[in-house]
Amino acid sequence: MALPLYYNWRNLTRRKTSSLLTFLVVMVVVLVLAILLSFGAGIRESLANSGIEGNIVVLKPGASAESTSIISNEEAARVMQTPHLARNTDGEAMVSFELCVQTTIPRKNADRNLANVAIRGVDDIGFDVHSHVNIVEGRRFRQAAQEIIVGKAASERYENLELGHEITLGVLGNRAFRVVGIFEDNGGAMESEIWGPRTMISGVYERRFLSSVLLRIDTPENFASAKSYIDGPTVELSAKTEFDYYAEVSKTTRDIVSLTSILIGIMLVGAVFAVANTMYAAVDGRKREIAMLRTIGFSRGSIILAFLIESSLICGVACLCGLALSLTVQGGKQDFMSDTTYTVLAYDLRITPAILMIALAASLTVGIAGALAPAIKASRTKIIEALRKA
Amino acid sequence: MDLRITYLYRNLSRNPMRTALTSAAIALPIVIYVLSFSVIQGFDDFLDRAAKQLRLCVTQKTSIVNPLPTGHRRKIEFLDESKTRILSVCGLRWVGGKVGDKPQLLSTMAADPDTFLGTFSDYKLSESERANWFRERRAIVVGSGTANQFGWKVGDRVSIKPSLPPYKEMDFIVVAVGSSENDPVTNFFRADYYEDVMKEIGGPTDKVSFFFVKCATKEDLTHFTAEIDELFARTPDETKTQDEKTFMNSFITQQFNLPRNLTILAFTTIFVAVMAAANTMSMNIRDRMGEIATLRSLGFGRLGLFALVQTESLLLCVGGGVIGAAIPYIAFNFTPLGRMNVPLIQTLIVEGSMCAQALLIAAGVAIFAAMVPAISAARTPLVTALRNME
Repeated sequence: MALPLYYNWRNLTRRKTSSLLTFLVVMVVVLVLAILLSFGAGIRESLANSGIEGNIVVLKPGASAESTSIISNEEAARVMQTPHLARNTDGEAMVSFELCVQTTIPRKNADRNLANVAIRGVDDIGFDVHSHVNIVEGRRFRQAAQEIIVGKAASERYENLELGHEITLGVLGNRAFRVVGIFEDNGGAMESEIWGPRTMISGVYERRFLSSVLLRIDTPENFASAKSYIDGPTVELSAKTEFDYYAEVSKTTRDIVSLTSILIGIMLVGAVFAVANTMYAAVDGRKREIAMLRTIGFSRGSIILAFLIESSLICGVACLCGLALSLTVQGGKQDFMSDTTYTVLAYDLRITPAILMIALAASLTVGIAGALAPAIKASRTKIIEALRKA
Repeated sequence: MDLRITYLYRNLSRNPMRTALTSAAIALPIVIYVLSFSVIQGFDDFLDRAAKQLRLCVTQKTSIVNPLPTGHRRKIEFLDESKTRILSVCGLRWVGGKVGDKPQLLSTMAADPDTFLGTFSDYKLSESERANWFRERRAIVVGSGTANQFGWKVGDRVSIKPSLPPYKEMDFIVVAVGSSENDPVTNFFRADYYEDVMKEIGGPTDKVSFFFVKCATKEDLTHFTAEIDELFARTPDETKTQDEKTFMNSFITQQFNLPRNLTILAFTTIFVAVMAAANTMSMNIRDRMGEIATLRSLGFGRLGLFALVQTESLLLCVGGGVIGAAIPYIAFNFTPLGRMNVPLIQTLIVEGSMCAQALLIAAGVAIFAAMVPAISAARTPLVTALRNME
């Protein structure tokens, strides 16, 4: 036979200070847990949305990112012969020659600190290969015009990147480019970039080479044969899938995020102790009451259950409040500088359903782990002794 | 006096479970505090050392990735022909680099061999090490963190694969390992070796990533910050000059703004510790209301009772604090964990002074947490309390 929930609730309200303090501990821990996880979730989401099935990034062997890769035009021309290339509706091979440079632009925050923003010079075929890129405001740039389009995330975070504005680019920082469009990339990494006509970008930055070649193959199964051609003696460049490329770009960042999970672990253990402390006090304070309950026929099991429910109740409610508070950071605009590309990658903080479940599971575990020992102690109360003291 | 000490001891030991749980619930936030602030301290020390070196960093005006011509060095040197204000100018070429198949990106620079030792005089090389730097064309000075990570020692032959042209492994001979006072992750090798390799592959040879300019005094530092940029204004290669601290700091804040975020995390966990301690103290006092009333009626003053409760809390929290500070101190100073490779700062150094600071925080937690219980103990209404005694 179980005790009614009403009993648990009344018990919690009887020891207001103690319940409240425990509630605060669990709430703060859940809040920190959710926020720390939201960084990782946001980055993962941005990178999970980066890359397209069948796309291959070709870099110079040894280069760690597009920004440090230098490919000559001759080398790039050889990539055109890659087997199993996909073709667009006009019958052109889906191979995009790209040049990546970067510029510093102040962030739209109080300090206006500078961000290294990537600039990608592409030809029109680039829009076919990066098929997730779509213009949401304005239009595409025209080749040979001093025009750029800006990723949505970059336009939200950095100054002067709204539609119709002008920024100065080039080695001398004196060539004005007009923002003629804003694009989305399915929430992926390219939304942090600025795109312009390749020939113009190459001209103003005095770069007579390419950074990378992006190509699409007809089916992902043909990756191995395309790779062996590109890596082989004919081309001697390095091919990897676009997915793998973005996974590497964020490696260090993910290391930092996983280090924070150690801190989360320590905090959760701390919370278990705090809850256990409260529950021990509750048990000690109610010895007689428990003896009474046992006398009138409640089993040991139902006493244990009552304490577990009581503790889970505090932790559950605290968890919900903590999560509610954490939702205030939902969608927060963040960016980080990847230490392989040295350019910023924007992401939004995300409180995902997975985080909600993790937080709930963690707080219930804390509640149960903290209450288990006190509950068992309570169930072992010696009835006669406890009653005699009355 | 000894009666009080006995009483304090008895109070803490009469409920050993509660004391243990509270100490643990305080120890864990202290662990987080020590770890977080050790990381922050690592960044601060790094920046402070950078500031002490009185070095300017000259980069291309629009972006750090755009190179500057090597000829700038002579022009900067001519700003002070006496060489009493500008002591030394060293051109650095960033090549990144990887070791074997390890994904981690190194920070490796090709430095002007003649001025490197003068500009980076904080690398206190011995006479023979200096001689080896000048004699051995493949000489490399490695950072302490990098040396530790790969097990490199002076005299070792090592290979690093640059992330930029030539993109193929270059062999070096370690002539010196930086001390813990130096940048732990940066390695310097001779630019003449690099230029030779570049000539073989037909790469560009007359470019540097940035110049470091060693100044004599703080005034010179400020003076030449403006002077150098003015010198190259309106030329095709304009510059941006910053002192070394500002330059380094812009990298650190771009990577997650780790120092700020860790500070927030550390103080949040301290808040958790306060809650846990307050909970215990308020339970202790409530359980002992009758006792406190008895003490009052025996003639103990209000102030005395207030002090008793505060001291009890102090003992409890500082006890937890000692455990919490000792765990990371021992782990990072006396176990293999100390050599763990931490992203960004490479090695985590937990200093004794940081642990002492954490103890002060624990004491603060104690006083804060016991404030309400101590006041309520001091204000115990005698008659009601005695009447309620069991």
